[in-house]
Amino acid sequence: MTGSRLHPFTLLAIAGALPALAWILPAPDGAAATLVVSLVLTLTPGARLGLTGIGASPGWRRRLVVFRMALLTAAPFWLFLLLLHDVPTTIATGLRITTMVATFVWLVAVLEPARLVEAMVAAGWSASIAYLLAATLSAVPVLKARAQRIVEAQRCRGLSPRGGIPARLRALQALALPLVLSALHEVDERALALETRGLVPGIRRTPLAPPHDPAAERAARWALLLVCLFTLVRRLIVQHPS
Amino acid sequence: MSIRFLALIPVAAAISLALSAAVDAVALPLFLDTTGTILATALAGPGVGIATGIVTSAVNTLRNPTFWPFVVVQLIVALYAWVAARAGLFRSFRTAIPAGLGLGVIASLTSTPISYLVFGCTTTGGIALTTALGKALGLPPLGACFFGSFVSDFGDKAVTFALVTSVLHGLPRRTAARFPWALRAIGAA
Repeated sequence: MTGSRLHPFTLLAIAGALPALAWILPAPDGAAATLVVSLVLTLTPGARLGLTGIGASPGWRRRLVVFRMALLTAAPFWLFLLLLHDVPTTIATGLRITTMVATFVWLVAVLEPARLVEAMVAAGWSASIAYLLAATLSAVPVLKARAQRIVEAQRCRGLSPRGGIPARLRALQALALPLVLSALHEVDERALALETRGLVPGIRRTPLAPPHDPAAERAARWALLLVCLFTLVRRLIVQHPS
Repeated sequence: MSIRFLALIPVAAAISLALSAAVDAVALPLFLDTTGTILATALAGPGVGIATGIVTSAVNTLRNPTFWPFVVVQLIVALYAWVAARAGLFRSFRTAIPAGLGLGVIASLTSTPISYLVFGCTTTGGIALTTALGKALGLPPLGACFFGSFVSDFGDKAVTFALVTSVLHGLPRRTAARFPWALRAIGAA
């Protein structure tokens, strides 16, 4: 089964369990094992950098883009760890951080926000919570584009981002204030739109196309949770025998 | 929670994440990633602020997974901003900037143990480099880690408080009056 076809909650469970195990299991062996699993995940079919639009070409190269993105994202941490720590600590912490980075890069590549919202609604979560996540994900690129337009517009009006810190802070205020105020003026429009669509707190909605959630996946999610708890308890007992 | 507050949370979270474009344009070493949390708290109270902080961290985590453990900092920021709003500390820069500096100390004290224990103080390039500077100055590892967090948080939170003060004063009174805490935060009620 490809990553993108797994139920969104299963994807989240894997993304939560792998970094947790990387920190719970003794380093470097445990963290190395979780890293291998997470890197293999980035090579699985269905992983694509959908949110960024990179890696749209089909086939093996597309999978390699996710793998490469995971390594490139983790690389600076290794550099900083080497700068601050000795080699054993660098390896132990580096493996753990790389597991976390690779797992989340994979998660972003396979998790479709719309499917997650449908899954949350189908599972009986409040529609408000699903809205918060989906609305933020969609609002960020819109506001970023608006911020860029404001930067260009203010530059056309002669705003200079150069000079000492006070001058730059004044420039920052001239850039940030229109962005924040314009965003706040949208709140009433959004509230009206939500009310019109019946998204009143406490109301349960019917999902349009709920993702299939087979019993095997539900069992696997519980198994992942139990493995994490068992490993944590075992680690604590082994490290601190009474 | 009212519909207006529900609509405010994603807007405030997106403000935190979109301000990076403005920061990049002026090339200042700032994050401003708690602006939305502080603003939402000053407008609508701690519940909305905490929700904004959690949503901001969750969405930021998709961009950089090292952000998630620092969700605790967002909660502390929301609670601190609530106290500041109740005390009317957003009434002027003279009161807001010292309050922001205080938050900088608290935020760095909160983030240091997380950064040290989980990431070995390597969360971002800037913090790692200032931590290395602290180490070069002879500070112990935890002290160097606090130094790195403090240098980045101290000024950042002061600027964030100043920015939120500007926004609250720039809001038309009619708009501000729709949010329960806005007028009190600026000392107008």
